[in-house]
Amino acid sequence: MRNLLGGAAVLAVILGIAFVLPAIDRAVPAGRGVPALRHTIADGISVVPPTGALIAKRTRAGPASGSIMFLIGPARYVISVEPFDGDAAKASQRLRTKIQNMRGYQVTGPESPVVTDSGLSGLGSDFTAPGRSGRYVAFVVPGRAVEVTVNVSETDFEQACLPIDASIASISWNGRK
Amino acid sequence: MKMPSDARRFSVRPTPRQARALQSVHLPAFWILCLLLALSAWRLGLMLQSPLERFPTATLTAIVLFAVWAVPFWLFISSMDFLEREPPLLLATAFAWGAVVATMAAMPGNRALLGLTAKVVGPEFAMVWGPAIASPAIEELLKALGLVMIVLVARWQINSVLDGMVYGALIGLGFQVVENVFYALNAVEMANTGDKVGPVVATFFLRGFLAGLWSHTLFSAVAGAGIAWFLVRKDQPLVVRCSGLLLGLGLAWGTHFIWNSPLLMDGYGVTGAELLVGLLLKGLPALVLGMGLLWVARHREANYYIDRLEALRDPEIATKGELYTLRHGHLRAEARRYGKFRAGPAGRKAVKALQLAQAHLAVELSRAPAGLVTGDPVLLHIRDDVLEIRNQLMRLAHPEAVASPLRPAIPRILVMGVLTAIVLFGLIWYAITSMHGA
Repeated sequence: MRNLLGGAAVLAVILGIAFVLPAIDRAVPAGRGVPALRHTIADGISVVPPTGALIAKRTRAGPASGSIMFLIGPARYVISVEPFDGDAAKASQRLRTKIQNMRGYQVTGPESPVVTDSGLSGLGSDFTAPGRSGRYVAFVVPGRAVEVTVNVSETDFEQACLPIDASIASISWNGRK
Repeated sequence: MKMPSDARRFSVRPTPRQARALQSVHLPAFWILCLLLALSAWRLGLMLQSPLERFPTATLTAIVLFAVWAVPFWLFISSMDFLEREPPLLLATAFAWGAVVATMAAMPGNRALLGLTAKVVGPEFAMVWGPAIASPAIEELLKALGLVMIVLVARWQINSVLDGMVYGALIGLGFQVVENVFYALNAVEMANTGDKVGPVVATFFLRGFLAGLWSHTLFSAVAGAGIAWFLVRKDQPLVVRCSGLLLGLGLAWGTHFIWNSPLLMDGYGVTGAELLVGLLLKGLPALVLGMGLLWVARHREANYYIDRLEALRDPEIATKGELYTLRHGHLRAEARRYGKFRAGPAGRKAVKALQLAQAHLAVELSRAPAGLVTGDPVLLHIRDDVLEIRNQLMRLAHPEAVASPLRPAIPRILVMGVLTAIVLFGLIWYAITSMHGA
């Protein structure tokens, strides 16, 4: 009996951590606390992540380059800044090629212009892969490209994109602003 | 089973002879463990399915690299308990718990606790301190539960503090391997360059060596020491045992907290040396604590078992020199080397066989305190093994399995350890400077 109780207690704690804790997290409304603050990705380029986003990985390969990966529920939202010599069309073409080079990835629609709240102009589109959907946008600031990629399961795509689109719109370059 | 008085002093409770692996099948906890392992393995398979479809080469490279990386750690950990070897199936179960159950539950748990921290305290605080708060709380608890589960299915196998450290370390190692594979896959995803192994190799170096050589393995070993101490020191009042348990878990949590904290996150400065100093300042306390505990636990267990042999006062079974040698890991290795020097490979083999037979006899003596005089058939059989190997050594003109009297004053293992550390630090230094301190 003690063995059964002990095993059941371990099982209960595991289930509590894997399922109950996330349920509590979902039940607590977001945005009650301090609003998300602006994060610098590389010198002069910053973004406001969606509320509740977690940083999964962050790199700085020098003052002009850097990348950040946010997790927002099931979605992965990556912003990467690196040296680039070209216009937004070339940057978008380069990002599209990278995506299509991945096995099973296809860009699904024509590219359309995207303008952030601070006036940065870029080009972007959506893509699909087996069981997954995504969105990409490429911006250009003098000497650098800002590549944005969102990757999420097909079923969560529409819902995940709402806060992420707002975050993409918050990307700014202080040289322009 | 009544505990010998010196077993208390040495924190050892010998496994009863009647303990059998198959007995576990009758325990409800065994089936709960199987259920958890199966469900978590299925979940892990689902999580790896998408990366395997999208980045097959990178995913397989990550799995193979970190699996190979784990091999020397596994060998080191399982060799710690030379005298009373743990069942391989139970060692594999510990590793599987860390790799499968702990990781699969930790992922949603960590995310939820980080999310709650962001909502309740604030996103900025969660970004900076979240990993130091959520990961130790969730992960150390989940890994410790692995040892609790092993206790529930094979209670008598945890019979010393050293055993707790061995199982704890393997749970941590399993966790570390799977966590690192997912870090590598995140890097591939983030690089956005398709099925390339570059991000995997970079992660392998960063997570495998630069920042995480001894992380989870060591944290869980310390927690395991606390749990095992609680189990074997039944002579102590419950409050003292609970204090020992909490101390072990607290130290595991504390070292994990320091490792994940934003303090010295980017090192002590920006140069390679400053970054290296920062990493060492964060990582060395855990290493010193873990290795210190390991040293004490190993010697206590060795002294307890070898005292059984010493009580026989029979130089045919073990001479004074051999008893001294058996108590020290580095001397056991030196004795095998000396056997090879004096009698070739057969000498080395015979010395190793004698050491194993003596260890086996010592452990069996601890299970039958009345000793050989009772005519216990198991003890007599092992004693005959020892005597037969002794005869082999006599025929090889190397009658005593001891270390060379001319061995270096500084143990070879210490020299090798220092040299390995220097090479490792050199490689880390090179990597940091190559990355411009990024």
